[in-house]
Amino acid sequence: MDLDVHLDAIVSGDTLAFGRWLAGTEGTVRDSLRSFAAVVDVEAVLQEAMLRVWQVAPRFVADGRPHGLLRLAIRIGRNLAVSELRKTRARPVEAADLEAALADEEPPQAVPDPMLRRAIAECRDKLPAKPREAFDARLASAGGKDDDDLAQAIGMRLNTFLQNFTRARKLLADCLKKRGVSVDAELGS
Amino acid sequence: MTPEEEDLLIEQVAGAWRPGTDDELRYHKAWHDLDAAARVRAFARARALRPIEAAVDPDGLSTTARAVLARIRR
Repeated sequence: MDLDVHLDAIVSGDTLAFGRWLAGTEGTVRDSLRSFAAVVDVEAVLQEAMLRVWQVAPRFVADGRPHGLLRLAIRIGRNLAVSELRKTRARPVEAADLEAALADEEPPQAVPDPMLRRAIAECRDKLPAKPREAFDARLASAGGKDDDDLAQAIGMRLNTFLQNFTRARKLLADCLKKRGVSVDAELGS
Repeated sequence: MTPEEEDLLIEQVAGAWRPGTDDELRYHKAWHDLDAAARVRAFARARALRPIEAAVDPDGLSTTARAVLARIRR
């Protein structure tokens, strides 16, 4: 599905529509920044790029090809990352990597299917209390609080909070693997 | 830094929280303490976590997406 179907609603200021567009494009834009991961904070660049997409969307002119807003997001993210590189004078990434990141045919990542969602939810429900508490605190904060604050809110020291989150992550990966779900190796590392 | 200490820093950087400013791109403070290999691992870990977060979110949104929406609505 061409994610530009959300464009009219986004331009009209519909944040729910922008959320649906984000859900479909975040992974692709993140992956397009992979070659910068050693030299810029990709999470920070990604969030800023997506914010700027929202800000410029009312002026966006479609070129008739699908996923125009996604291609714009990739371009904004790349420009931000390059700008950060210039500030830090870090070694630039290969030009070929940049071009690959801007590939027009970049397919959006699939949204998890209902069975996968259920498997993940069931594995999450099986987490021991403390790891679950740390995992849920991160989710509930939605990126709005740092780990120091989250740890304090649930009565843990920062290191204890992070160790519990790590345990939750690894247990989730083990549980999903046992159910035959293919998971990213880093999830269980 | 021990491998265990480094891994806890990676865990922090892999989260979606970033210092809150409306007009400036701000890095996670722990990112600066990581070497290149550890930064790449933080990227990979965030990449692995976000689909899991989205899968348990009622609207299918990761913490990154929610953080962006929060900035928009601020």
